[in-house]
Amino acid sequence: MASVLSSLRYLLADVIGDDDAAVPSPPENLPADAVPVVTEAIARLIDYQGPSYAQLYVDRLKRFVGRPGVDAADLDDIARLMAARMSYEDPIRIAQLKLAEHAAAAVPTPASTDGDRKRFRIDELIGALPAVAAEPVLDVLEWVGWTHAPVSIRYSAANRFGVRRLKIEAGLKRWRLFSIRYAKERVWVERWLHMIDRALTKQPQATRAIIRTADMIQGYGSVYRHGLADWHAIVDGLVKPTFDGVLPLADLTGAIAEARAAILPDPRQVALKRKIAEIRARALPEATPPVPA
Amino acid sequence: MERSGKGCKERTLTRHFGRHGREFTTKRRLSPYIKSRHEHYDIGAPGLGPVELPQNGLAPMDTSTLAEHAGTAGALFASVFVVATTTMRTMIPLRIFGILTNIVLIISSIATRNYPTGLLHCVLLVMNSYRLHQMLQLVRDVKRSVNSDLSMDWLKPFMTERNCMAGEILFYKDEKAEELFYIVSGRYRLVESGIELPVGAIVGELGMLSPSNLRTQSLECIEPGTILSVSYSKVEELYVQNPEFGFYFLRLSSARLFQNLAKAEERLAQLTAPAAIAPKPA
Repeated sequence: MASVLSSLRYLLADVIGDDDAAVPSPPENLPADAVPVVTEAIARLIDYQGPSYAQLYVDRLKRFVGRPGVDAADLDDIARLMAARMSYEDPIRIAQLKLAEHAAAAVPTPASTDGDRKRFRIDELIGALPAVAAEPVLDVLEWVGWTHAPVSIRYSAANRFGVRRLKIEAGLKRWRLFSIRYAKERVWVERWLHMIDRALTKQPQATRAIIRTADMIQGYGSVYRHGLADWHAIVDGLVKPTFDGVLPLADLTGAIAEARAAILPDPRQVALKRKIAEIRARALPEATPPVPA
Repeated sequence: MERSGKGCKERTLTRHFGRHGREFTTKRRLSPYIKSRHEHYDIGAPGLGPVELPQNGLAPMDTSTLAEHAGTAGALFASVFVVATTTMRTMIPLRIFGILTNIVLIISSIATRNYPTGLLHCVLLVMNSYRLHQMLQLVRDVKRSVNSDLSMDWLKPFMTERNCMAGEILFYKDEKAEELFYIVSGRYRLVESGIELPVGAIVGELGMLSPSNLRTQSLECIEPGTILSVSYSKVEELYVQNPEFGFYFLRLSSARLFQNLAKAEERLAQLTAPAAIAPKPA
């Protein structure tokens, strides 16, 4: 029976999204200090998605290995933060983590009431599905006006039914790379790497600050959305204009730190936007309207 | 003439066949219960008596058995085509055999009055014909492109449309390339070189064939517009399905590469020429 299932699995590998690629190894010439971080990241991404996805991580990292201006600490940060962003927390990931926690626990965890409950927005939940299926659903939700409706999901491995449900949810990882959320995350990672790349040529002293902006984005739900919005506000308001030569910011590192300090858990980003405007006004004194005498 | 003991009715019919008017005698045995098709269903109906032979002596043809035989023969014939279809390795022969199978099955389903099967194969026939036409058109267009302007317009039917906003980056330098783009409207700029791409330009076709698969520049939308995109996996699919397409696609890509090289050499020559003819300072 097992061999029949194995044959069927092989036959339908493309359809069910099986990934039988070779396990990637860390890039050559990687500093010794960064090897454990990269090895751990590869293992995490294989668990998260598969060997091909881990290979994408290695390929992305290779761009900075041995590059002038990128020291071991920078590379370590890039490796760690990129692994964190590439294993973003979507409903599928949370199910995977819960299953891993259940497998690691010697004694089955008792059912808790609120500890296993996670709150998402409905578009976040649907966005984890393949785009072909998710897009029509999101169109309908938008038409009804429920795109931002909150959804609460319980992740519990307290009984057999719960474990089975978690396995089904975790099994959706096969189609994760076709999801709307993955497309957005991919663009984000590429943009972040592009900004690091530009920093190395335009303002090398700001490279580390830009690398570390990735830790602004964490978790899921509203925390994730606020972090992402704040990151885009800083990059669009300060970093990109500086690299484009539109904003003469000599101390980009200081400006990023100042803007990050102004971040509050406010969806309207009032304080952050005010701070960015202030920094821009300081950098562009001639652009600001003259104060009447 | 009644045959005793067996209960079967036997008629002796005389038929005229052949050019020379040779006579053949055939004996036809009918079941005791079914004397003829009409008698079986309409026995006792007014005006329908036993079968009468026409004056020329020819018996009426029993079309029901003929249709049955045609249906069986058609089904057998179609089975051969189905088996042949599954042995095809590439798309064009597969579609051709699919079409032949559909035709045979439509004919046999008419003969056996199996209309749902006939309807199904009519739908399949239309689909197979459309796909075959598409594939033949693709090969024809790629061939034409190789011999004329090296354009890649032939890929348009396989592309998906996407709208771009000003300031949107379609891809970043050093990003792993996964799709190629065709510019329909709007303005787009290669960030690193500052080159603006005209409407109708194709971007990223060589990334598919390069070993590293990395973008060499970033592409930014500077004025809102529409682009068409197709993934490399889709082009690979076309390539694998049809070796002829694959061959011409390679020729086209190489020709475009040589064209780019020639342009680069020309530009280099233009840059070095003024320096060579510049008068020496006195």
